Amino acid sequence: MNRISNDTPAVVIVGSGAGGGTLAYELTKAGIPCVVLEAGPHYTLDDWVNDEWEAFGQMAWLDPRTTSGSWGITKHFPSLPAWLVKAVGGTTTHWAGACPRFMDYELKTLSTYGRIEGATLLDWPITLEELAPYYDAAEKAMGVTHVHGRPPLPANNNYKVLANGAERVGYRSYGTGPYATNAEPYDGRPASIQDGFNFQGDKHGSKWSTLVREIPRAIETGLCDLRPECQAVKITHDRSGRADAVLYVDKDGALHRQAAKVVCVAGNSIESPRLLLLSDSSMFPNGIGNSSDQVGRNYMRHLTGSVYAWFEKPVHMYRGETMAGVVADEVRHDPGRGFVGGFYMETLSLGVPFLAKFIQPDAWGRDFTGMMDHYDHIAGLWIVGEDMPQATNRVTLSATQDRWGIPVANVHYDDHPNDVAMRTYAYGKAQDLYKSVGAIGTHRTPPYPATHNLGTCRMSARPEDGVVNKWGQTHDVANVFVSDGSVMTTGAAANPTLTIVALAIRQAEYLAGELKSGRL
Amino acid sequence: MKRSPANDKALLAQMVRVVFPHDRIGAAPYERTAEAILDAAAKWPGQAACLAAGLDDLSAAGFSGLGEAQATAVLEGIEGTPFFRLVLHTAVVAFYNDAEVWSVLGYEGASYDKGGYVNRGFNDLDWLPEPRIAAS
Repeated sequence: MNRISNDTPAVVIVGSGAGGGTLAYELTKAGIPCVVLEAGPHYTLDDWVNDEWEAFGQMAWLDPRTTSGSWGITKHFPSLPAWLVKAVGGTTTHWAGACPRFMDYELKTLSTYGRIEGATLLDWPITLEELAPYYDAAEKAMGVTHVHGRPPLPANNNYKVLANGAERVGYRSYGTGPYATNAEPYDGRPASIQDGFNFQGDKHGSKWSTLVREIPRAIETGLCDLRPECQAVKITHDRSGRADAVLYVDKDGALHRQAAKVVCVAGNSIESPRLLLLSDSSMFPNGIGNSSDQVGRNYMRHLTGSVYAWFEKPVHMYRGETMAGVVADEVRHDPGRGFVGGFYMETLSLGVPFLAKFIQPDAWGRDFTGMMDHYDHIAGLWIVGEDMPQATNRVTLSATQDRWGIPVANVHYDDHPNDVAMRTYAYGKAQDLYKSVGAIGTHRTPPYPATHNLGTCRMSARPEDGVVNKWGQTHDVANVFVSDGSVMTTGAAANPTLTIVALAIRQAEYLAGELKSGRL
Repeated sequence: MKRSPANDKALLAQMVRVVFPHDRIGAAPYERTAEAILDAAAKWPGQAACLAAGLDDLSAAGFSGLGEAQATAVLEGIEGTPFFRLVLHTAVVAFYNDAEVWSVLGYEGASYDKGGYVNRGFNDLDWLPEPRIAAS
């Protein structure tokens, strides 16, 4: 790996997950040297452990964060608003793999839904047509099943319950994917052995992540200087207002300065706005890229919820690919249901340790243990739906500091009435689905700490409505980009990773053109 | 009952059984969980003090002589206290991370070293029809 000197103005990418890892590969492949600053360590597949708590302690971002607002997270998980990974590969090491594309109307929510009180809906500055070729490229890169000739994954036990229930209640659009884990060997990686551990890192390497694909390939170009355990803490700028460096702290607490000609922020929708807000100066008193006061606002997390159901006969939901089962019938614009936007139902299983912690947080006594006693007879699904962007759902700097004395992120969230209406409807539909195949009991599990973190630096056509333009370039500073799920104008119902990768490939193409033409 | 380490552990184990009552699970996981709570609290003087005071209160209430219904009522009366929350939050992790508990509840734990479930029942559910796997 080529070391890039700290004095050489480089493309500096903050974060190595779906956005940052993809960007690093695409740019280095195009001959552009990149420094990648990754806050977490560089684990390999052998380091992952098939143990929910041990893996959580190993991978999760456990630096302090704070929470506020009326969501249940403030009460039950006040320092854990999100379940994200701090490691090379970012949260792609922990994601399950579901890869739906956005629907056309989901990029035009203001036009489609109309004005909704309390929501800050906005149309994306790009269309599905513009995104389509990048979705194709992302699906091929990730080896997504069901598309581009990749076969579907087989039905596992949890899927059999979901699919039969879906069929009986009249749903038609269900299957085992699209899903970014190999059903057969592809792209140098083996087929799934259905070991059931996704959220803990995939020891087998059949799941796509930037850890197994983009990062090693970027390093192979000789142009990627990956620096694990280096956490960016400030973007600085010159007198003209152009970004000129990134300050970062290494694992020993030493502060370094990496000169930058372009900065791409891809630390996820909590850390990316935090970094921009921390990058204040006399010229940018509210943080870099934040003249609109939109940095950190419109934080979205998908409305989410789970339903677990138990049956007379065994299920063993934990065997096999965790989320290889998707029902898409409810993803449509149909305000007759009492809400705008739509939702997916996707298989989800947790082991005994995590089910006990999350099925009903802080529950105890016979009602709780009665559910756990059914463990090997339980099937589970996750509701993933579009939540409304709201200006007050917001990432700000907290009074709490991390171990380096730097303010951490506070995440404020209140459900919008549309979120509550959709969740209530979705719970009912999921319970009906399971009852149709003989469930003897069901439980409505409230939202977990967020795994889908969106918004906070949203794309907008007009600078006053958002933080970045349609390329992810900040409206204020031409050489500062945001390259992760933060740029999502609205969240759609789809699991976001595929779209983050597609947007990163598109951004890389634009950035390479701008750099080669000398405009950046 | 006079406070002693052995008595503390027994009283805590009894409390954990009231918190997480599983008729099919024997005494050992409850005892291991009580130990885990004591060990965790021992690292933080504030927690150790909180635990000691809570156990004193339970002793004074004659907790060890209560049946499940009465013991549950006592815990419902204190469930908002730092003592109860300390026990609950440590116990939910320790108890449900116990291999004996997994075995009784039907969870098999680590699978990669056994080749995953691809040949060990990932699709062995046979009480429903085989569904299609591709969206229509």
